Amino acid sequence: MNTDVEENEDTATAKAADEKAEPALEAAKEPAPEPPEQTDDDDNGARRERRWPRVLAGVLVVALLAAGAVMYAAGRQLRDTPATSNRALTDSAATAQVAGEVTNALGKVFSYSPDGTDATKASAQKLLAGKALQQYAALFGQVEKQSADQKLTLTTHVVRAGVTRLTPDSAHLLVLLDQVYERKGRAASKAAAQLSVTARLREGRWTIVEITSR
Amino acid sequence: MARVAMTRNPLVAAAIVLTVAATGAAGWGGVSRYQAGHDSSAAYAQTRDDVLAAGEQAVQNMNTLDHAQLDKGLDSWEDSTTGDLHQQLVDGRDGFVKQIQEAKTVSTAKVLAGSVTELDDRAGKAGVMVALRVTVTAPKGKPAVKESRMLGQLTRTPDGWKLSALGQAPVGNTAG
Repeated sequence: MNTDVEENEDTATAKAADEKAEPALEAAKEPAPEPPEQTDDDDNGARRERRWPRVLAGVLVVALLAAGAVMYAAGRQLRDTPATSNRALTDSAATAQVAGEVTNALGKVFSYSPDGTDATKASAQKLLAGKALQQYAALFGQVEKQSADQKLTLTTHVVRAGVTRLTPDSAHLLVLLDQVYERKGRAASKAAAQLSVTARLREGRWTIVEITSR
Repeated sequence: MARVAMTRNPLVAAAIVLTVAATGAAGWGGVSRYQAGHDSSAAYAQTRDDVLAAGEQAVQNMNTLDHAQLDKGLDSWEDSTTGDLHQQLVDGRDGFVKQIQEAKTVSTAKVLAGSVTELDDRAGKAGVMVALRVTVTAPKGKPAVKESRMLGQLTRTPDGWKLSALGQAPVGNTAG
């Protein structure tokens, strides 16, 4: 069994080598003595003619496939980079949308008046989720009391929002805020704040899931 | 000819089909490669990342200065800027050197977050916003740590993107 297989392999290799060597043979020594098994001149010529295009076609097909694959891979490499997976600014409509929605949301959840804390709380429930909502709930418990006791009004105004990273369903932003505190009978005071915000797209709307003060 | 070949040997027909398919694959690969090379949005995305890196570095440079290494620091200021801002720094250098040598302060900055707010690839103009923490150490007293937010304009130069304008983001009471 083993010997048979080996023999077959040997024959196949020999044939392949023969096929490859053929063009060189043909060109170099046309009237060379024929191999022992090829006795008929006409038959040999016909075979040769048939082999030629076969080898050529094989080489051509392999070369073309390889060229196609290499160029496609090179194209993918150029197109799929860390830079292109981030759509901030490259998709200007989506960038404007997330910046706008996050700007509105921050303005709402960080603005309150003594009479309006319920409205602020309600909008926070709608616009925040996850960790951001937990943080906010912890914070807002104090704020609510303070606001009522001291007649404190906070107005938050987004100075600028920039999208650092954007994918189809998540975004990272840097937001600059101005906050104005007004207490009844006192001059208003202003403060600056910088927030890093993570937002996720849920049901077509951007929801803030994480806020880090900078 | 083809018909004769086909009737003679189906292998030839298969070879022709295979060759045509391979040619198609090569062509498709070529087109894909060409398009990727000329994909303006990929180039734009790369430029955006370059701008952010250059902007953050430049803003950090502009907030870093050691009185013991004034020349090095001010050279880096000038290297990070172009246009009017650059000219202002060059013109004001002598006065500034005097001022810092007297104050003997060391300022270091750490960029906390940054973002490109606008980018005009063709005009070579971009806007960035950067949140950073600046620590100023004077010979006496504790280091003063300040959170700062800056807006910068960058311009493309043969040596890369450089700051052409830089300022604090407007706040109601920066003086306070």
